[in-house]
Amino acid sequence: MMERDQSFAQPFVRPSAAVVSGYSVSFYSLFEGISYFILLAATLMALFPIGMAIVNSLKTDGEIMNNILAFPAVIRFSNYKQAFELTHFLRSMMNTVVVISTGLAGIVFFGAMSGYKLSRTRSRLSGFLFGMFIMSMLIPFHSIMITLTRVARIVHVQGTSVGLGLIYIGLGVPMAIFLYHGFIKSVPRELDEAALIDGCGEFRFFLTIVFPLVAPITVTVIILNTLWMWNDFLLPLIMITDSDNYTVMLSTNILFGQYSNNDWSAILATLVLAMLPMVSLYLFLQKYIMKGITEGALKG
Amino acid sequence: MRNVLFFVVPALLFYVIFVLIPAAGGVWYGMTNWNGLNPNYRFVGLSNYVEALTEDRVFLDSVLFTLKYVFFMVVLQNALALLLAVLIEGRNRGKVLFRTTLFMPNMISMVIGGFVWLFIFTQVLPEIAQTGIFPFLDQSWIGDPVWSFYAILIVSLWVGVGYLMVIYIAALQGVPTQLKEAAEIDGASRMRLFTSIVLPMILPAVTIGMFLALNMAFKVFEVVYALTGGGPGRATQVIALNIFEEAFNMSNRYGYASAKATLLFLLVFIITLIQLRIMKKREVEL
Repeated sequence: MMERDQSFAQPFVRPSAAVVSGYSVSFYSLFEGISYFILLAATLMALFPIGMAIVNSLKTDGEIMNNILAFPAVIRFSNYKQAFELTHFLRSMMNTVVVISTGLAGIVFFGAMSGYKLSRTRSRLSGFLFGMFIMSMLIPFHSIMITLTRVARIVHVQGTSVGLGLIYIGLGVPMAIFLYHGFIKSVPRELDEAALIDGCGEFRFFLTIVFPLVAPITVTVIILNTLWMWNDFLLPLIMITDSDNYTVMLSTNILFGQYSNNDWSAILATLVLAMLPMVSLYLFLQKYIMKGITEGALKG
Repeated sequence: MRNVLFFVVPALLFYVIFVLIPAAGGVWYGMTNWNGLNPNYRFVGLSNYVEALTEDRVFLDSVLFTLKYVFFMVVLQNALALLLAVLIEGRNRGKVLFRTTLFMPNMISMVIGGFVWLFIFTQVLPEIAQTGIFPFLDQSWIGDPVWSFYAILIVSLWVGVGYLMVIYIAALQGVPTQLKEAAEIDGASRMRLFTSIVLPMILPAVTIGMFLALNMAFKVFEVVYALTGGGPGRATQVIALNIFEEAFNMSNRYGYASAKATLLFLLVFIITLIQLRIMKKREVEL
């Protein structure tokens, strides 16, 4: 019976594999070869633009004009000096750090509080609130951005780094609530009851017991939101008008307004500076970032 | 109940102010002639929607262009991501190395990626073509509407494929080894193993992959902004860029732009619902 099933499923492969085993082996290694070739080509595609940007950011404009594909004769960091000055890199870096820390503080803490409580309470109210938070994930940012500029002006958060961070809390907290909500289900409920019987206030219980216990998902929330806020462009673009408050992404953008395309050496150095923090973070925390990304996507 | 509110109110406050009110406000302003500056505006009913859908050639072109982009992205991004994931998981050595490098572009902001590729398209590729190895690379990547569409696709895939690839790798690792071994012992070929065992097992991940690709593609903005700025002319203008320019760059017609933004929301919403329904149904059948 089994024999018949098999031959039905494999009318071609089985005889060839059995009769000429050499054919099967070479077919296998051909497959391996193609697979290896595709992966190498894809890797080359992934790294080529980054590599070209780095290599050419170390050359003078003349060298870029003459031979774009060659390595620089002498490695110069003068472009980076210029990039630092043109984009006020340290200042925009500081602004970005303020934005991200403000945003993270709110997203992590408020997200954990809500996620915990909504996950523990089985009432109509908590179900409604949770559904409302989740619903927002379907709203494209572009659909709210116009009115958001008006709301931001009314509540006085427009144009500043802290203000931008506060807006990110509102935009980022639903996803955090969702992740915490799911994770807290795995924290045993008996713990809650024991603590409450011991006379521990619920907020203190949350702070001292629950919050440390959910650290793994906190890491995920921090990673996802840091990447998002660092790389986000459109929200700062419509919120920040004063160049003193530019984020790194915004200060990169001004180079293309002010300079024509022939000053690539300074532009490339700026671009490398802007991508370096996240790329190096990635190389160090690769495992966590990968895990965070999959968790965020599979649960979200 | 008071307790629930105590824990939820901080998050709720930010959420209501920065998401719900702007969302509701967008629908309201979409029915007015508000221009952003003038405090006096009138209720104009659905006339903004009528104008956008019947008279606004530029907007309708941007919708068509976005739909074309979405179609190519959903297919290509998922196909390439799945292919790379399968190839990486099929290897014995170098798994982590390939995964790490192929995912790396996803760490880079879309704007930065767009600017870096602008350099590649305008400076590097013509140079490579001159060496005679790949003469076909010498195209007007940014100046020609046909080629700039490919340019936008290439950059979007460069950033986006790694993201879905990581999701597919996680899904492939979730397929039980016993199942695969059993099929191998029964003499299943590689192809058959993939179509009969692996693919049905990772179908939920394919649903997620399609959903994510669809969502990201409809909202495309940064890549186009950095790479072509919507040009040449307005040949590569996408919906988000059209809304952005309508509100902040050209006419300051906030009310009219809000109407278009609401249309974008409805479009994404309806297509997502349809897609989720189809995919769910297929999962059950298998």
